[in-house]
Amino acid sequence: MERLLPMSALAVLLAVAPVAQAQDKGAGKAVYDKTCALCHGPGLAGAPKFGNKADWAPRLKAGTAKLHASALKGTANGMPAKGGNLSLSDAEVKAAVDYLVAAAGGAKAESAAGPAKAAKADAKAVPKADAKAEPAAKPASADAGKGAYEKTCALCHGPGIAGAPKYASKADWGPRVKGGAAKLYASALKGTANGMPAKGGNPALADAEVRAAVDYMLAAVGEAKTAASPPPVASVAPAAATPKTAPAPAAPATPAQAAPAPTRVASAAPVAVPPPAGDPNAFNRLLAAPGKRNAPPAEDGIHDPANAGTHSLQPPQAAFAGMPSLGAGNRVNWVSSLDGGRIKPRWDRDDGTAAAVVMDLNIVREVKGSMPDVVYPHKQHTEWLDCSNCHPAIFIPQKGANQISMASIMLGQKCGVCHGKVAFPVSECRLCHSKKKDGAVPPTVAGTKP
Amino acid sequence: METIRLPIRRLALWGLAAAFAVAAAFALPAPARAEYGDVVINNHSDAAGVRPVVFPHWFHRVRFRCKVCHSDLGFKFQAGGNDINMVKIIDGQFCGACHNGSVAWSVENCDLCHSGKPGTATQVHESTISKLVGSAPAPKAAAAPAPAKP
Repeated sequence: MERLLPMSALAVLLAVAPVAQAQDKGAGKAVYDKTCALCHGPGLAGAPKFGNKADWAPRLKAGTAKLHASALKGTANGMPAKGGNLSLSDAEVKAAVDYLVAAAGGAKAESAAGPAKAAKADAKAVPKADAKAEPAAKPASADAGKGAYEKTCALCHGPGIAGAPKYASKADWGPRVKGGAAKLYASALKGTANGMPAKGGNPALADAEVRAAVDYMLAAVGEAKTAASPPPVASVAPAAATPKTAPAPAAPATPAQAAPAPTRVASAAPVAVPPPAGDPNAFNRLLAAPGKRNAPPAEDGIHDPANAGTHSLQPPQAAFAGMPSLGAGNRVNWVSSLDGGRIKPRWDRDDGTAAAVVMDLNIVREVKGSMPDVVYPHKQHTEWLDCSNCHPAIFIPQKGANQISMASIMLGQKCGVCHGKVAFPVSECRLCHSKKKDGAVPPTVAGTKP
Repeated sequence: METIRLPIRRLALWGLAAAFAVAAAFALPAPARAEYGDVVINNHSDAAGVRPVVFPHWFHRVRFRCKVCHSDLGFKFQAGGNDINMVKIIDGQFCGACHNGSVAWSVENCDLCHSGKPGTATQVHESTISKLVGSAPAPKAAAAPAPAKP
């Protein structure tokens, strides 16, 4: 895998190459096309998408100087220093930032950075030369598949980004393989509604090369190439033959529009994911990395990035900035946010001044085993809810009348009507199980915990 | 700049490779996910040829207490359990109680609500129950993940 990375990078260059033509707009554009577009073009990995005002607005507020600094030094959200291209000069990076800012409607005018001219020349020269040379390369041999994969497919199928089934991951490929190789060929050639662009976004590839690349990827998941020569139906397969995915109105995506992760069974059940093909000892490999939390709508896996309105929606991170955090759920401590005045949700639909009707009464539930007893605070609940939300349908308002188990909570009943769906999930044991068996409620618990 | 032109290309490649590795590291564990508590409502959408609705709980929670919708407006605590349709909305029920051009923007902004990927099943996204039981992402495999009482 590591050995493929430089090649993947080449693929990246090739993929963004078409954008890199007509460029009298300046050095910033050249640098953008060459380096930044990889992520900022489609808005991958949390990057604010090129020209998307919703993505950029919160960032523009911080000022161009801050953006320059982020671009040069990188950020904790995943932006690498200089976009990962350390050969860029500072002036080039700044020019690229200005170019992105201008595209997002920011005021800063493009600075005519001279030094970037060389890079511009490179961006033009490299991809064109390669793109012309490659299609001629030996078609239909086993090497051709590997070559095409490394050149084009590895960009997404290598790390499994944008919903692409990951190279050599049987879990990802299993359901697709069932559809048969012909279907996969058709998907690869024509693209799919899930974001796979036709020919992986590289129209310079010959059909045979694309099929060879599919075979190469199938071989990696142990699917012996059943038909060495692709069935003829593949080359003429109509769009209707795209596999079982959704009937999306989306136009076939170009690389710059590649759709993020489609919802998959595997994503819903992390327990079932086999070890990935990459680093088997990757840190916290089943967890979403901090930079991937609170993804903007277009990348969150359920919003359709092909829908114009999706890009007008507020990204959660913009709203959550400065709110107290919690270790689970959407990582926001809503109770503290309300108590601390970080948010001021209305109690009444129309009347912004109506005050909540709060009842301060703790109910202690003694529980089995060694777990601390549960203290249920009416106060925090009535800040948000009306009595009738819970009583009497979910909880009979009488001591000892309600059977509650963790199993029923995790299956969405009792406390689980909200906890595990919108309120903090069961992983936060101590927020409920807060009273020691031997007596006193810890002082931190009584009134103020969520 | 001009003097180091030759190595640039190779350096750029390695730089990009590094960026790529970073991106890969971020992308490895799971595909990006929607926000905890986002509700997908696909009771009628797929059949009607529009995108399913994605209701962002977090966005509304910043602005309203739970009680406003779940008590005053009568939303049941169950994804897909309210049988909302556009007629009810334009008559001021459910979403239409606020999305009427006065409290919040009005119904002509179809694609702000109908913004889900076609074929996404009704669900509470990232809910514990969907993790345990599965959120049935297949089109119309409508195992609503919430057998909860209202």
